[in-house]
Amino acid sequence: MEQGSLLNNRSRVSGIRWLQGWIIFSLYLSITLTFGALASAQEPFYKGKTVRIVVGFAPGGGFDTYSRVLARHMGRHIPGGPTIIVDNMPGAASLVSANHVYKVAKPDGLTIGHFIGGLFLQQLLQKPGVEFDSRKFEFIGAPVRDHPACAFTKASGITSMEKWTASKTPVKLGGTGAGSNTDDIPKVLKEALGLPLQLITGYKGTSAVRLAADSGELAGGCWGWDSIRATWRSAIESGDAVVVLQTTPEPAPDLAKIPLAINFAKTDDARQLIRVGIHNISAVIRPYVLPPATPKERVQILQKSFLETMKDPEFLADAKKSKLDVEPLAGGQLGKMVGELFKLKPGLVTKLKEILQ
Amino acid sequence: MFEMLGAFVSGFYQVLTPTTFGLMLVGIAVGFIVGILPGLGGPTTMALMLPFIFKMSAVEAFAFLLGMAAVTATTGDITSILFGVPGEPTTAATIVDGHPMAKKGEAGRALGAALMSSLVGAIFGALCLALAVPIVRPLVLTFGSPEFFMIALLGVTFVASLSGGALVKGLISGGLGFCLAMIGLDPISGIQRFTFGQLFLWDGIGLVPVTVGLFAIPEIVDLAVQGGSISKEKIGKLGGVMEGVKDTFRHWWLVIRCSALGAYIGIIPGMGGGVSQWIAYAHAVQSSPNKERFGRGAVEGVLGPGAANNSTLGGAFIPTVAFGVPGSVIMAILLGAFIIQGIVPGPDMLLPPPRGKLDLTFSFVWIIVVSNLITVGICFLFLNQLAKVTQIRSSLLMPFLLLLIYLGAFAEKNAFEDIIVVLVFGALGWVMVKLDWQRPPLLLGLVLGPLMENRLFLSTDNYGIAWLWRTGVLLLFALTLIGIFYPIVKETLQKKGKADVLPMAPVVVKEEEKGAVRLWDTLFTLFIAVLLAWALLESRNFGFRAGLFPWAIGLPVLALAIAQLILELTGRARRTVVVIEGSTDGGADLPREVVYQRTASICGWIIGFFVMIWLLGFSIAFPVTTLLYLKIAGREKWPITIILTLLGWGFFYGLFDYSLHVPFPDGQLFLWLK
Repeated sequence: MEQGSLLNNRSRVSGIRWLQGWIIFSLYLSITLTFGALASAQEPFYKGKTVRIVVGFAPGGGFDTYSRVLARHMGRHIPGGPTIIVDNMPGAASLVSANHVYKVAKPDGLTIGHFIGGLFLQQLLQKPGVEFDSRKFEFIGAPVRDHPACAFTKASGITSMEKWTASKTPVKLGGTGAGSNTDDIPKVLKEALGLPLQLITGYKGTSAVRLAADSGELAGGCWGWDSIRATWRSAIESGDAVVVLQTTPEPAPDLAKIPLAINFAKTDDARQLIRVGIHNISAVIRPYVLPPATPKERVQILQKSFLETMKDPEFLADAKKSKLDVEPLAGGQLGKMVGELFKLKPGLVTKLKEILQ
Repeated sequence: MFEMLGAFVSGFYQVLTPTTFGLMLVGIAVGFIVGILPGLGGPTTMALMLPFIFKMSAVEAFAFLLGMAAVTATTGDITSILFGVPGEPTTAATIVDGHPMAKKGEAGRALGAALMSSLVGAIFGALCLALAVPIVRPLVLTFGSPEFFMIALLGVTFVASLSGGALVKGLISGGLGFCLAMIGLDPISGIQRFTFGQLFLWDGIGLVPVTVGLFAIPEIVDLAVQGGSISKEKIGKLGGVMEGVKDTFRHWWLVIRCSALGAYIGIIPGMGGGVSQWIAYAHAVQSSPNKERFGRGAVEGVLGPGAANNSTLGGAFIPTVAFGVPGSVIMAILLGAFIIQGIVPGPDMLLPPPRGKLDLTFSFVWIIVVSNLITVGICFLFLNQLAKVTQIRSSLLMPFLLLLIYLGAFAEKNAFEDIIVVLVFGALGWVMVKLDWQRPPLLLGLVLGPLMENRLFLSTDNYGIAWLWRTGVLLLFALTLIGIFYPIVKETLQKKGKADVLPMAPVVVKEEEKGAVRLWDTLFTLFIAVLLAWALLESRNFGFRAGLFPWAIGLPVLALAIAQLILELTGRARRTVVVIEGSTDGGADLPREVVYQRTASICGWIIGFFVMIWLLGFSIAFPVTTLLYLKIAGREKWPITIILTLLGWGFFYGLFDYSLHVPFPDGQLFLWLK
């Protein structure tokens, strides 16, 4: 059998060259035509465009679900009615996507990033892998703030703060890995409040923590109340699992009687630690951002339409069906809160670095 | 009891209502295509379909989604067998023996076996779900981290039997898999291990690109070198689909055991079909009296994973329904569907109506069973035609196979770097095949390594040393011992009696003469030893927790590698060569120069395609490369070249780019031009 080679048939090669030229030419033509049409148009910028939301996590999680519901409704509120699609770019707890949006994505208002807000803290603490400056993102807004709470099984015996503080043995809390709120909250609480606790980390997700608690391996753990309520509901309702502490500035409406962590802090330093290490990060946990230097008018269009979407009855109905809480934070406020992180006293930053290493 | 039976029947009727059944058929159709196409994974597709269920009732929504999920593992086997490229991440193990069968002209038999065992597995998994209902809570809750660790350990003991007669090499291969699994952030302290500062490596290297590289690339090279078509033989009598169906019943207990393994592994959170297929494959090998046949087209190697990856779905549903703890990615998405439908997973799901939603739970069972029955039925209608794909000449298939490989690698995480991983492991896989190293142990190590490390630390942190005496741990330890010794006993017994005569070509095992020092073998072993030594040196800075596993695994494996090196250097290493009668093997009849030239040529195309993707992006690189390949390497006529290119491009662009918006990166060339 003969073997194909580039030089054995000149006419065939020239035919290929011709076809190559033709492909490149037609591509060139279509590209120039599209751009030409865009430049001359008087229509809104977003008309006929596709906006991508780059989500830093795999399909199926909370970040993905919020984005997909948002993508279904936000297009209506943007002048020109663009199509919005969701791209998943999972990796390194969404750090890959945050770097991508900062460095690679074009600042043309067509790429929106959605990653975990804890990354802003990672930058402050100079963790490796961060290739962005949080303060330079353009902020569209956040659909919700996180309300972390600590919940334990009844079987563990930790059913109130009195029992927790009085526990002779360290109470076992499950974590999902360094840098997640399941790990950071117990670490801060241990330092700020001196609670007897042992963090056992490495579980694959909060559902695995929940299962380990149900089987008696752990006492419980600390993560978002909305997630606890949605996934541990039957145990919470039957009293087999109990929320003991919430780590928010104000109590959640349906947790009015559960004490706040900040109220147990005895020193200013302790209060500061909880405020910065838990409260602030919880508020900015689900940010929607644009790459730095996106044209201001497009930033404003998206900020405005984001807030409008948050009030859209159809969006709210879908969100309710998906059990997603909506408690929007406008882009301006979000940017301000992130900026405040970087105005902390150096001493406090060092302290946080030590605790959350 | 009557209430339960009532719910069981009511679940069945709910599935059969016209709208529900219609939606299930739509789901099946989507799942069918998703399963066949690599690069279109079940999870991504389900996430895309999730918005459609807002307006459906609960049974309708699950008929739609579960119908889709239930068939992907079944149809994924088809791609694995025919092309050696995994159709789904969960069907990679089917390649190891399924694809060699296709090459021997037994594609029909392999497909028949895969489909039938899939059906058995699916029904078995569904039955487990149904039967587990009363005992599910205690069943799952007896499992803690120590038991999870023991299951991983049980899987590891299979490495030995996957070694294909060369125990030391097999153990090194498995150890290498373990070491590769350590790449990334360590699960406990978040310390970077072997990441070279690359963010991409933080999460470790993915199972999909590794499998695609290890198995598909060597197949492609082989196919190009041999020329002709995938199947080297005429599809003979043995190639028949019915033969494969009969094989399922011939090895009935193996199929059942593998189904049970799959369902059991499915129950464990964090271990899905990706793990169960390899454990089932290893079990099929381990329990067989003549292990030499495996990797060369043994039908048991198709039956095991075929059954297990399907039964895993039913198993994984158990913790999802009873606790809201998803056993896999697919289950995580189904859990999202539960929430959208306002259903709270938990004990309510196990109570008969009106108190609970047991009828819904039972309808899941029916959906899994019915959708698999339909899929397998449809497949059987076309199987003989499908098997004929293996007789198309390879030059026509090649560009599309290359696309499937790159696309399959890229689409899992939408990461360009994964394409590089495919190439690296493609090279490794090719060398391993040539030098007779077994690849399955490496994958088993890669799959089980992280689980073992993670659960070992969780066990010790939670219980101290006391976890060793837990009942579950002791039981599993006993099971592991039985697993190790039972085949040995069985083998000796069977040697005394007459060997089980299997309807398959006789196998002759030759051993190459000792005494020769083979240069390439020695160099490769040296390469592995140096790599391991370097890894050990690197891990000295990891600290105790992150460093324990690299040292505990790395040192013995390094010792083995050095031992192997000494064997090679002194010429005492043996290489076993298995010849299956009636088949031409390894290009024996081709002159050397032709083999070299063709190997170089196909490698050029593989790398060339990669460079094109890098420079021009997928959407342009694919048609250009297809055209060039068909015309230059394939020497096809212009009309067929252009028609195939346009058809392929139209399909690719229409599905992946236009409809699914897969975020392909722009070509580097265009970035430079700007």
